[in-house]
Amino acid sequence: MLSGSTIVLIITVMAASAVEAVEALTIILASGITHGWRSTWEGAIVAFFALAAVVGVLGTTIIHHVDIDVLRVIVGTLLLIFGMQWLTKAILRSSGFKAMHDEAKIFEKDVEELKKEKHIRHGKRDSIAFVVSFKGVFLEGMEVVMIVISFGLSNGNDYSRLKYAVLGAAVAIAVIAVIGAIVAKPLAKVPENTLKLGVGIILVSFGMFWMGEGAGVKWPMSDVFILILAAIIAATTFGLIGYFKRLHNRMQHEVQVL
Amino acid sequence: MKILKSIWKFLKGFGLFWQDFLVGDSPELALGVLIILGVAYLLRNHGIWDVVAITALALILMVVTVWRKTREHR
Repeated sequence: MLSGSTIVLIITVMAASAVEAVEALTIILASGITHGWRSTWEGAIVAFFALAAVVGVLGTTIIHHVDIDVLRVIVGTLLLIFGMQWLTKAILRSSGFKAMHDEAKIFEKDVEELKKEKHIRHGKRDSIAFVVSFKGVFLEGMEVVMIVISFGLSNGNDYSRLKYAVLGAAVAIAVIAVIGAIVAKPLAKVPENTLKLGVGIILVSFGMFWMGEGAGVKWPMSDVFILILAAIIAATTFGLIGYFKRLHNRMQHEVQVL
Repeated sequence: MKILKSIWKFLKGFGLFWQDFLVGDSPELALGVLIILGVAYLLRNHGIWDVVAITALALILMVVTVWRKTREHR
């Protein structure tokens, strides 16, 4: 029987992996269409195995050599930093201060840039396709790796959470890969900002909790307090979106009047 | 000498990658999180105040970061 926090862990990792997989898919498609599929696939597959190796090596090393409280401080600090980054970007996008992440537009821009490269070798090995694809998958995947390791190792010397975290990420990536292969175009309809908002709230809540616990803070009601933290962070997030949306609309109105 | 230069180049690239990955364009976020961690250690044996301080500081950090970022886009 899975515990509540394990279910939240799986859903969070799946949502985060789906967002990053959609972004990586756009890069793979742009590279494959302009420079051929052979080296594009090779780059993506090598990057995928490199990321899996990072999870395996880093995960097992940390489990065996790092004290549980130190581990929770590291995990909590990382989750809090990533969560705050995701959340602030999602708030700026939701309130209109930052353009929404548009995969179709990014795809068109990537294709235009890749077409400018002179040495396109369809059907043969193409170093540009390999590097673009490798970098795209590796960099987008690295954040997922950090989230998987952080969530997976939060229980210390226990592999079960790490297994669930890896499974969640693998399922999400496989689903996006299959859909991407079928539709063969960027997945612009995936609600990336909403997913980032939800993932950001969970990362910040768990990050605060584990960082505090590792530092010796005694949270009231133990794990249940994560729900209270999530509610406080969610309320603040939606309050900020509402305030800055109104501010943005007022600024737009003033520009129109001028 | 050539090997030392290559090692230095690799280490520099490695450091820059992690700096960009963890800090990116929001250095105040990384700094703010480290301050929250310091406060958590300082107040850990002071009853409920550690919980209140961590929660309040995280919210302040969130508001300040969003406020600063919106100013960049105004």
